[in-house]
Amino acid sequence: MSSLIGQRIPKLDAPDKATGRATYGHDVRLPGLLHGKILYSAHPHARIVRVDTSRAERLPGVKCVLTAADNAPTRFGYGKDQTPFKSMARSLRDEIAGVVAVDADTAYEALALIQVEYEPLPAIFSIEEALTPDAPLVHSEHGSNLFQTYHYSHGELLRGEAESDVILEASYRLPYVTHACMETSVVVAQFEHGGRLTLWSTTQIPFLLQRDLSEALGIPGSQIRIIQTSIGGAFGRGLDIYPYEPIAALMAIKAGKPVRLAFTRREEFNAGPARQPAEVSLRAGVRRDGRLTFRDVAAVLDIGAYVSWGSVTPLVMMETTASLYKIPHVRFKADCVYTNNLVTGAMRGYGNPQSTFFVETMMDQLAEAVGMDPVEFRLLNANEPNTTTPQGLVITSCGMKECLQAVAAAADRAAKRQGDEAIPEPVTHYQTPIFNAQSSNSNTLKRGIGFATTLNVGGGARIYRSDGCGASVKVDDFGHVTLVTGSTEIGQGSETVLAQIVAEALGVCPEDISVINTDTDVKPWDVGVHASRTTFIAGNAAHLAALDARAQIFETAAEMLGVSPDQLIARNGRIELATPHSPPATIPSLPLSKVVRQRHFREGGTVVIGEGWYDPPTKLVDKATYKGNISAAYGFGAQMAEVEVDTETGQVRVLRLACANDVGRAINPMAVEGQIEGGAQMGLGYALTEELIVENGRVLNPDFHHYRLFTAADMPEIETIIVETDDPGGPFGAKGVGEMGGTPTAAAVANAIYDAIGIRMTELPMTPERVLAAILKKEQVHDRPTL
Amino acid sequence: MFPFNYRTPTSLPEALDLLARENASAHVIAGGTDMVLNMRNGLKAPKTVINLKRLPELKGIAYEEGRGLRIGALTTLREVHRSPLIQMHYPALSHAASRMASEQIRAFATVGGNLCNGSPSADTAPPLIAFDAIVHLVSLAGTRTLPLKDFFTGPGTTALQPGELLQEITVPPPNGKTIFIKHIPRAYMDISVVCVAVRLLMVNGVCQEARIVLGAVAPTPLQARAAEASLSGKRLDADLIEEAAQTAAKESHPIDDAKGSAWYRKQMVGVIVRRALTTFFENV
Amino acid sequence: MKKAITLTVNGDIHELYVETHHSLLDVIRNELGLVGTHRGCDTGNCGACTLHLDGLAMNACLLLAVDYDGSEILTIEGITQNGALHPLQQALVEKGGIQCGFCTPGVVMNTLALLADNPHPSKTEIRARLSGNLCRCTGYVKIVEAIMSVSH
Repeated sequence: MSSLIGQRIPKLDAPDKATGRATYGHDVRLPGLLHGKILYSAHPHARIVRVDTSRAERLPGVKCVLTAADNAPTRFGYGKDQTPFKSMARSLRDEIAGVVAVDADTAYEALALIQVEYEPLPAIFSIEEALTPDAPLVHSEHGSNLFQTYHYSHGELLRGEAESDVILEASYRLPYVTHACMETSVVVAQFEHGGRLTLWSTTQIPFLLQRDLSEALGIPGSQIRIIQTSIGGAFGRGLDIYPYEPIAALMAIKAGKPVRLAFTRREEFNAGPARQPAEVSLRAGVRRDGRLTFRDVAAVLDIGAYVSWGSVTPLVMMETTASLYKIPHVRFKADCVYTNNLVTGAMRGYGNPQSTFFVETMMDQLAEAVGMDPVEFRLLNANEPNTTTPQGLVITSCGMKECLQAVAAAADRAAKRQGDEAIPEPVTHYQTPIFNAQSSNSNTLKRGIGFATTLNVGGGARIYRSDGCGASVKVDDFGHVTLVTGSTEIGQGSETVLAQIVAEALGVCPEDISVINTDTDVKPWDVGVHASRTTFIAGNAAHLAALDARAQIFETAAEMLGVSPDQLIARNGRIELATPHSPPATIPSLPLSKVVRQRHFREGGTVVIGEGWYDPPTKLVDKATYKGNISAAYGFGAQMAEVEVDTETGQVRVLRLACANDVGRAINPMAVEGQIEGGAQMGLGYALTEELIVENGRVLNPDFHHYRLFTAADMPEIETIIVETDDPGGPFGAKGVGEMGGTPTAAAVANAIYDAIGIRMTELPMTPERVLAAILKKEQVHDRPTL
Repeated sequence: MFPFNYRTPTSLPEALDLLARENASAHVIAGGTDMVLNMRNGLKAPKTVINLKRLPELKGIAYEEGRGLRIGALTTLREVHRSPLIQMHYPALSHAASRMASEQIRAFATVGGNLCNGSPSADTAPPLIAFDAIVHLVSLAGTRTLPLKDFFTGPGTTALQPGELLQEITVPPPNGKTIFIKHIPRAYMDISVVCVAVRLLMVNGVCQEARIVLGAVAPTPLQARAAEASLSGKRLDADLIEEAAQTAAKESHPIDDAKGSAWYRKQMVGVIVRRALTTFFENV
Repeated sequence: MKKAITLTVNGDIHELYVETHHSLLDVIRNELGLVGTHRGCDTGNCGACTLHLDGLAMNACLLLAVDYDGSEILTIEGITQNGALHPLQQALVEKGGIQCGFCTPGVVMNTLALLADNPHPSKTEIRARLSGNLCRCTGYVKIVEAIMSVSH
């Protein structure tokens, strides 16, 4: 049997998902299950004077109605500014009351019977309004709408400016976007005898959620059990506690029966945690020889009415600003501002798609300013292995240059293609094909190529005091292996990758492995699935547990074979003497199952259970300077986008996207490609089509008609290139890849648009309207007639 | 969505009888792609829903040389898209149907529903108006016909009177060629930002008859009459095309909404009408 | 208000008494317990609820159950024969076309309908057809590869 590392092993859970047998939160069935619905505020900012629930309570089928009076007295959430139900509405997504009924129809009908008397208050919907001196306060107890400010610097900005031959500046506007998981948020809550709460949940942080819920409900964390169902997409949505989770628990307490609370798609758009919009200004300098001198960023983020992890995204924006490319002088400032808009949170990339957009479009401008090829310019300034950035990031393995060279080669191949082969066929007829002729817009189509790179944590991210994960590996007397891991499967394929790691260490097939990873009563502690950390952190933990189990097995096998444990290897389900030059039939060996049985049946016997705990050798960033090595490894990537811009309509079609990523080592290349390709879909949406349009705190497009995800028909040809650098700290050399696929995409597309039409787009998404407006503005400047 | 009474008539007289009796408290349903959404969003809450899908009188596609096309109102967009008769004689209509929603929706959304929903962005309307289609409206009082261009009265409203149903659409034999262009950000799944159907009858390079019909840029599908007139009896050239395109843009009066801004839509009318006309110019 | 209807689902005849305003998706999931057909949007955009109704792929969320009295329905649960994956399901598993899996049943059902329309669709036709199935995980690349592998 050859090594399992690097094999395209299909996901272990895929057959159940292909046949519709997987159980998602919407599919959980329990005896007596009731249905909850939430009534949201009718005003973006209002005091709740009175809530009359009597009519709703009288509706047949309604079990109970809840309001702020049912809250525990504590507050919860990242900023400790949340309660389940509100007595003061601060946004249109604020929960005012909830209904539990026998079915969803009845609960919905009851919502309309709840009468709420509001005292509307002045509200603020923009960063500018929020920061005016006499602005109404979103949280009066906080004393200001400015929740938090981040200041970072290294080097000396003035020196950087003095060393520059060219200084450029630009400002950027970044939109609200949302995870758009295919499964909407859902939770099922049940109280058992003795008051123990079981929650079936789509969370990404089961153990932190225990603690958060304990705070929100005022019951001990030991009384809360989280069971994770199959999760229909996460992408950061489940990285925090949100009010619907304690609300479901309160409903189950009050109703005395299990309750399901499931979002509609509209609720998902309105009440889910969006990626926060931001306004950014950037100044940057370069020397004539192409060396970067300084970068100076000031960002303001609208975090909405409550704080969630979204307010920590400046930490990652800061990392890109300070450490993407070698740059001696950096200043970064970010303000997080409360408004009466949506609630924002964590979303895949966590500040990095935003910052990579402005840093990498500026890189193109700087290259042009000094007359350098954009790839050469990037190679000159690229990060390198075995270096420490001024911010304190310890870069071990680094394939940034290899990634750049790989996508540059893809661009060359694209340029060399001729004729019909040059453009992928559009999937639709733009106009009725009646003349066997090309569309008449071929002379308005301009093509361009753009590049961008990315740096992302790839060895965990220490944002809590622990960045650890636990694992155990049990081997039974059939030679079957059970991995119990603290980590969470959210579709990314973690359980398959972990099974490969354990199988490799124990010399068994992945089919011989069961992965248990869904129940806090069973699995060991883990921080959660975020920051592209699972392969590295949970992988190392699982590997350690497997090695521990293997040592136990070797000890017994050595006794049975009369050799020393260090002479043994595990392969093909057997424990063998390591004698590479002997014919296989003559090698002394034992089946794994026999060794385990020997341990069970002997006097003073014992089970084979290996334990693993891995917490990477990293530090929390310094609270004052934000410096320090937050991750045990860093992933790198580069993308090349080839676009076609219709200069009359502003429509941008991405023809090709080449994505190269340094993943250390691809334990499962198919899963790695899947992360990159899926990330690219999200990145392309961020670049071109996705935007939650929010006016006066209201989402104007809370549906998939108008919130436009890239469909299969819109996707470009994607070339996925895996660069391997064998990271010294990763399991079998692997680093994380979960977020990098979509991080550089918007910048690569923007740079390609510039290459095509000579216009720098600084606002996302780059919709046909925005591109056309920029084209028309440029034409006016040049005194050309308009269309 | 709230509960309602539900009726399934199996013949047209039975349906008309029901409709007359239920009057304003009833709403008909065909494919239901708009109706179910409207009921779910609370925009419509009829006491009774009358299912039309079992009415044989509203079904079928037929074409006869010299007489033209008849499409029953219940014909699905999938059938409109894939009908060999429509593909051969009215390719712009087949094309318009093919660009709407997804195959899973086109399998049950009907052409009658698309028209009767009265949306300014109904994609089947511009090509059908360009073909001078006629709608056949039936009630207990009998049948009346109306040019489709006069059927739309405002966003979400039509000339249908209480008790009246759209039975079928008839289209004269093809006269000239027709191009449909749908302008949306994505390949599929978007509601038209702008759509345009242009029919030209060219004889010896001279435009004998022109239809320019715009979707999603006015309260109803809009025939750009001034633009049509500017082409009539003339030989196409770049200047004439530009003039007609700009005239059509001026005739449009779009609004700002989540699908697009008014200025952009107006601008696109000019571009797309010019593109359609240029295709004729380059190929005739 | 309720009404009696008969549906043949995956070959089994069900006599049901359903609310007039319930969708076929409501009935399939809640009355019949066939939860492999997923609810992703309830607006006909995402395609997660795609099933076959009288042989054609449709979005069950926009179909009123009472409208389809007497119909033949095939759901994802009816695709697997004797516990063996259909070749399309097998290809999606092996080629990496499944991540979170929420869109997968809809993708399978729409693709089987495509292959009934055209057993050898081009990559372009596959992509056009899949525009009715949103996926947030895969970028569609491996889904399209899997479909190509069973249709060519």
